[in-house]
Order: sequence, then structure tokens, then C-alpha cells
Amino acid sequence: MSVAEWFSERLPVRGSDLRELTNEPVPNHLRRWWYALGGTPAYLFVVQIVTGILLAFYYQPSAETAYESVRYITEQAHFGWYVRSVHKWGATLMVAAVILHQMRVYFTGAYRKPREINWMVGMCMLVCTLLIGFTGYALVYEQLSYWGATVAANIADTVPIAGPWIKQFLLAGDTYNARTLSRFFVLHAAVMPALMILLIIIHIAIIRLQGVTEFHFEDEKSGEPDHFNFFPDHLMTEIIMGLILMVLLSVLATVLPATMGPVADPLNTPEVIKPEWFLYVTFRWLKLFSITTAVLSMGFIVFTFFLWPFIDAWVRRRWPKSEFSVYVGILGVLAIIGLTVWEGAVAH
Amino acid sequence: MASSEASGRRRSLLAGGLLLAMWAALVASYGTFASYAVRFLFPARRRDPSWTYVLDAKSLPVGQALQYITPDGAKITLARQGSGQAAEDFVALSSVCPHLGCQVSWEGQNNRFFCPCHNGVFAPDGTGVSGPPGDAGQSLPKYSVKIQNGLVYLDVPQADGLAQVELRQIDESERIVGPGHDPCLMADLDRDQDRRFS
Repeated sequence: MSVAEWFSERLPVRGSDLRELTNEPVPNHLRRWWYALGGTPAYLFVVQIVTGILLAFYYQPSAETAYESVRYITEQAHFGWYVRSVHKWGATLMVAAVILHQMRVYFTGAYRKPREINWMVGMCMLVCTLLIGFTGYALVYEQLSYWGATVAANIADTVPIAGPWIKQFLLAGDTYNARTLSRFFVLHAAVMPALMILLIIIHIAIIRLQGVTEFHFEDEKSGEPDHFNFFPDHLMTEIIMGLILMVLLSVLATVLPATMGPVADPLNTPEVIKPEWFLYVTFRWLKLFSITTAVLSMGFIVFTFFLWPFIDAWVRRRWPKSEFSVYVGILGVLAIIGLTVWEGAVAH
Repeated sequence: MASSEASGRRRSLLAGGLLLAMWAALVASYGTFASYAVRFLFPARRRDPSWTYVLDAKSLPVGQALQYITPDGAKITLARQGSGQAAEDFVALSSVCPHLGCQVSWEGQNNRFFCPCHNGVFAPDGTGVSGPPGDAGQSLPKYSVKIQNGLVYLDVPQADGLAQVELRQIDESERIVGPGHDPCLMADLDRDQDRRFS
């Protein structure tokens, strides 16, 4: 009995079945790089899982040991600086890739019927990505990450009705205490990634069920097939993307490695508090309005975008030729860029 | 015939009832587990406050303040505002800004509490005067002080078994002075900023 026969008796899966399963016809527009942004965050998520598991071997989530363990990873562990820096830059690129992917989906109208549910799943993934980024930054236990977490918990506290519970849940008490860091660690390294994996499975399953939205361009040659094979053609594209990302991550990790700020001091608030760049929008927004107004309006905006496919459908039914969603999108992008640059450029 | 139909109805009714009971038991058991799990995630209620010795009243000069972390992690500023030996000569306030939770510090020279995050200013009795807390009418929560045999005691919450932080006095050198008030601090912050954006 050959080895292949031995396995096929125990795993009755044929190569043709696998080909059938993976060979989803891929529309031709996915040959364009701008449309391959969906695979980018997925690839970066895998990088984050791998580097995150490596970091967890040394990281100790308690107020007494967290900072020192991060310092050990950064300065003493073999290639610790590289693993931590790739993790940090992977998070940055993942947030950027998710936002860019969502923008592409928005401006191409790929969220419209029948893909409303997948848009909502995507919004959940965006929020999940931001929360993973936020909780991860809090784990370093630097001054800025400590006070960033404190301020964020107090922002959550202002949410009507559920606010105090959210704060209690996040901090494991009324204030940042001995149990807070382990809670952030569990959320960052177990709960949120598990939720993310579940959302990715649902996201991909819906894409497979509905097929990818197809786009056609004026420069397409007539007579060419509309689709190409996932395996190996599109997989090759994704592998090239993965290679480019790995090179990019390594260059960023080497040229701009993750550093250590001053250790958290619960009795000394720094004069300038800044969250990670992807939360600059929220932070600036909070400075523009009273805290309750800012939190409620921010929640309203996120909820509006969550339901955008239905709002857009209603607008298009009433005014079929309206470019409303495009104008709203442009306004949103300008607001995100403007508020981020503003917050990054000034101290207060 | 009629009796067999009635028996069939009874059987299907019984089967339906059993199915319903099974579902009810499943929902009740998993629901109970879920409620326990949710309750578990929220910390146990802390113990009632009790009088805790802080320091000898003579060791804190008028116009100066010390900061403490209580056994349950609450941060308190104890300031001496009078030269007498009575509880009224001392004030103990939470040093957590009610705006966004930043650390407030006592500025003896300006006779005020100050929050560096958004320039919140509090009067010596903890009332919000200007900045976001003043605008929102927020004050610093107050803790009771008592003096017994020349010793200062604070009525503070105790630890609930997990938080092992002792009541501790923070060294004077660790105290923050406020934004733009301390050139050394500003130099540190500039360096931190450089790190953040590097």
C-alpha cells in the first residue's frame, strides 16, 4: 500500500474536490492591485497572530512586570526588537489596509444589495481591528499607553446607560488597578482575535456565497474571458502581496523600530497625551465638543455607516441619479484626514 | 379506535411537553451559566471604607500636599490648608480629574488643584473652577479626614483581596507640577513626544 493510498483511505478527500473548493472564478478586475486590498489585512492578521504568539512567550501582563518584560523583549531577547517592531508595524499597516479596503468598497458601491450584511460584518471587523490596536498599545505600560487607556475608559464612562458598565468591564474596577492589565491582555490576545477570526470566516463565506462584485473598465480588451482561476492565478497575486508586505514590514521594523517610552506612573499625567495615530480622529473630535456631545455624535456616525447600505438604498430610491453617497464619502475621507493631521500636528 | 386516537394525542402532547421542558432546561442552564460568566467579569464590590492612618500632622507643612494610592487603587491628594491641628485644616480629595481621569496635583503657589490634560482648575475645596470640569460643574470627590492624637487618618476604601497596593506616600520628587510650570518636565515630555513620532 502506498503512502498516498494509506492517507486517502483515512482522509477521503480527492485533489479534484480541493480544486473545486478553491477554484472560485475570480473576476478580471481583481488583477488590478487596488482591488486586492481585501487580502492585505487578512495576510497582516496572520502576521499579527504569529508575532503576537511569539511576544506572549515573554510578555507578563501585570503592572509590576509588564514594562520590564517588554523592555526585555525589545533589548535582550534574540530578535525581540524585530518581532515586536513587526508586530507594531503590522498593526499600523493592518488598520490602514482595513480602512483603505473599506473605502474602496464604499466608493465602488460594492456594499449595495445583496451585500448589505457583508458591509455590516466589515464594519464590525473595522471596530474590532481598532479595539485590538487600542488594547495592544495599552499592554506596553508606558506613560502614554497607561494614560491613553485611562482616558479611553473615562470616555466610555460617558456613554449613556451602558457607559459605567463598559468602564467597569474595561478597567475591572472604578480606576486602573492591579487587575486591569491582565484584562487588556485577555481582550487583546484571546477574545478580540477569536471574534476577528469568526468575523473573517463569516465575511469570506458570504463572499463565496454571493461571489465578488464584478467591475468592468473601459480599457478592457473585448473577447477576453471575464474571469480567471483563484488557484493558482489569484493565489500568486496574494503571495506577491504577502512578499511585498513582509519586505515592507521588515524595512519599517529595521529603520523605525519600536522603542520604549517612560514607564507608566499612575501619579503623574504627562502634559501631552496622544493615542495611537488611528484614534487621532476620535481624540480630536473629543476636543471639539463637550464630552457627551462628542461621544454621542461619534456613536451616531459609526451607527450611520453601519447601516449605510440601507440609507443609501433609500436615498437612491427617492433620487435615482443622486451622487449622495459619493459626496458623503468624500466628506468622510476629508474629515478623517483633516482631523488626523490636525491632532498629529498640535500638542493640545 | 377513539381510544387509540386519544392515546396518540396524549403521546404527542407528552412528547411536545418533554421537548419544551428540555429546551427550557437548556435555556435555563446555559442562561444561568452566561449570567454567572457576565457577573464574574465585573469585579466584586469593594469593602466599606475604614479609617486608615496616613501621617503625623506635624510632618506636612501648611500649603503643601502629598499624594496617596489607597489599598483599592484610588488616588488621593492630602493638602494642608491651615496651621491648626484640626481636621478642617486638612483636605483630602480624589486626585483623579472627573473629566477624563487624569491625575490632578496641588499647586501650593497658586492655591489650586490643577489637571494637566485639559487645563482643569479646581479650588482648594475641590470645586471645579475653570477648564472642562469647571464648565461641567464637576468637583473632586472628597474623603473624610480625622485627627487623633496629632495623627492624620483618612476614611478610605480597603482592598478587596486582589489589589495588593499598600497605602503609600508618594515622594515629593514624584509630584507633577503642571504644564509649562516645570522646565525639566517639559524637556522630558519633548523627548517622549520625539519617541512617539519617531
